[in-house]
Amino acid sequence: MARTLMRFTGVGGQGVLLAGEIFAAAKIKTGGNGLKTATYTSQVRGGPTVVDITLDDDEIYYPYANDGEINFMLSVAQVSYDQFKRGVQEGGTIVVDPNLVKPSDEDRKKCNIIEIPIITIAKEEVGNVITQSVVALAIANTIMKPLDREVLIETMLSKVPAKVHDVNKVAYDLGEKYANEAMKK
Amino acid sequence: MATREVISNGNELAALAAKDAGCRFFGGYPITPSSEIMHEMSDLMPEVGGACIQMEDEIAGVAAAIGAGMSGVRTMTATSGPGISLKAENLGLAQMTEVPLVVVNVMRGGPSTGLPTRVSQGDVAQAKNPSHGDYKSITLCAGSLSECYTETVRAFNLADRFMQPVFVLLDETLGHMHGKAMLPTEEEVAAVIVPRKTFEGPAEEYFPYECESDQPAVLNPMFKGYRYHFTGLHHDKRGFPTEEIETCRKLIQRLEDKVELHKDELESYEEFNTDDAEILLVAYGSVSLAAKEAIRHLRAEGIKAGLFRPITLWPSPAEKMKELADRIPKVLCVELNIGQYRDEVQRATGRLDIDGLFKVNGRPISPYEIVNKVKEL
Repeated sequence: MARTLMRFTGVGGQGVLLAGEIFAAAKIKTGGNGLKTATYTSQVRGGPTVVDITLDDDEIYYPYANDGEINFMLSVAQVSYDQFKRGVQEGGTIVVDPNLVKPSDEDRKKCNIIEIPIITIAKEEVGNVITQSVVALAIANTIMKPLDREVLIETMLSKVPAKVHDVNKVAYDLGEKYANEAMKK
Repeated sequence: MATREVISNGNELAALAAKDAGCRFFGGYPITPSSEIMHEMSDLMPEVGGACIQMEDEIAGVAAAIGAGMSGVRTMTATSGPGISLKAENLGLAQMTEVPLVVVNVMRGGPSTGLPTRVSQGDVAQAKNPSHGDYKSITLCAGSLSECYTETVRAFNLADRFMQPVFVLLDETLGHMHGKAMLPTEEEVAAVIVPRKTFEGPAEEYFPYECESDQPAVLNPMFKGYRYHFTGLHHDKRGFPTEEIETCRKLIQRLEDKVELHKDELESYEEFNTDDAEILLVAYGSVSLAAKEAIRHLRAEGIKAGLFRPITLWPSPAEKMKELADRIPKVLCVELNIGQYRDEVQRATGRLDIDGLFKVNGRPISPYEIVNKVKEL
């Protein structure tokens, strides 16, 4: 497998870090290498946050994504989107929550932009806004397919308390469903 | 070596290492980007019968840790640069009284409160001389997730061997990056623990600071019938203050010589593609990860670059650096500060033409920045 570079961006407190840890751990479980780094500001709640995920069969040294090399980005906050979108390669995929992020026409020419109302899905269909990171996880994996879905789900469940397993499974399935529908458009 | 695979971040690995190395006390105060170490220690210490205490500030945090060290247990504190500044006076006390202690510093932007959440290597010079007076710093610097663990273990053994504080430098990137670490097993770590020396004879014949001119003090654990005194003042063989000329000279000379004359026990470094290198990068900590990636790109283009990575920063692997710099024409120091270690590379190699790629805005140095700089040389 070639290197997969993914970037999740949001604002502090949205839980984008967990999705990165799950991806890295799942890749390691399959015998490969995964690294997650997070960059955030000293403004803990509400500051722009970026999580870079590097997955590779070979050893990974540098843990951050190089600008212009990112294959996939997911963003749920305009401030972070604007700040970090330049990292995505031309023709790369960007998933945004259209209620929170408005990509420019230029962005749409450069990248494959997919709009999925991630927060609304988590809040209204799953019924728990915290599950947005699992919805995001499912979307990223469905579009990019870096990992076997069963391994990813199993890893995800190992990182959340047992009492919320069911709700997170629902979140994953919904994320997957929306991603598949969005890709058909 | 049997190994175990652990998925974690650098800070948590440092805490796990402390527990496995026999640390049973942690005193500290939370500070970004090191807080996860204390958080983890607060879970781990009670599980093994140890204690973790959050004190009222950084100064009290290290004071509590030193107190535990005086009593005889393996002890640690963790902080970031601003915390070291506050702890400096007590670190001097630990040097003077020869109390073993592991101090993990997860470096962030400075000076002052600087850039709390951002990466830096600005505390390298500070680690050499955090407090006033003459003593020899022992400073180890992890360059991977696995080393966040193994260097912390080594620090505990060195602290007891040399009877003084030992610094472990991590940086924000290493502390917070999350991935796979291959570690020795707990049993393997336990097998290499060498506890501090103790005096076994009658109490009236015990003089903790009466030792060979190149050896550390022998501090028996407290509450075992051996009485002695701790002071930051120059002191005699029992630890009581003195201004006797020869005693004072010998004490400070011994603090120097116990490390300086045994540097071979401390030296540690990694060479990466140096055999045929025509350009030598010198980098440590998380920057060495970018350097290794840069070397991959440079070699793919036919540029023979290699990396020298000091792991023990202080005392520096000076002879090895000189040997490499005598052979390799171009040397480039890559650091997240303005050449704090280049000064040492220049001193060690006797070369003033050591190039530098430095960054101090809290952002990591990318492999491409290194590639571009190397091509300019």
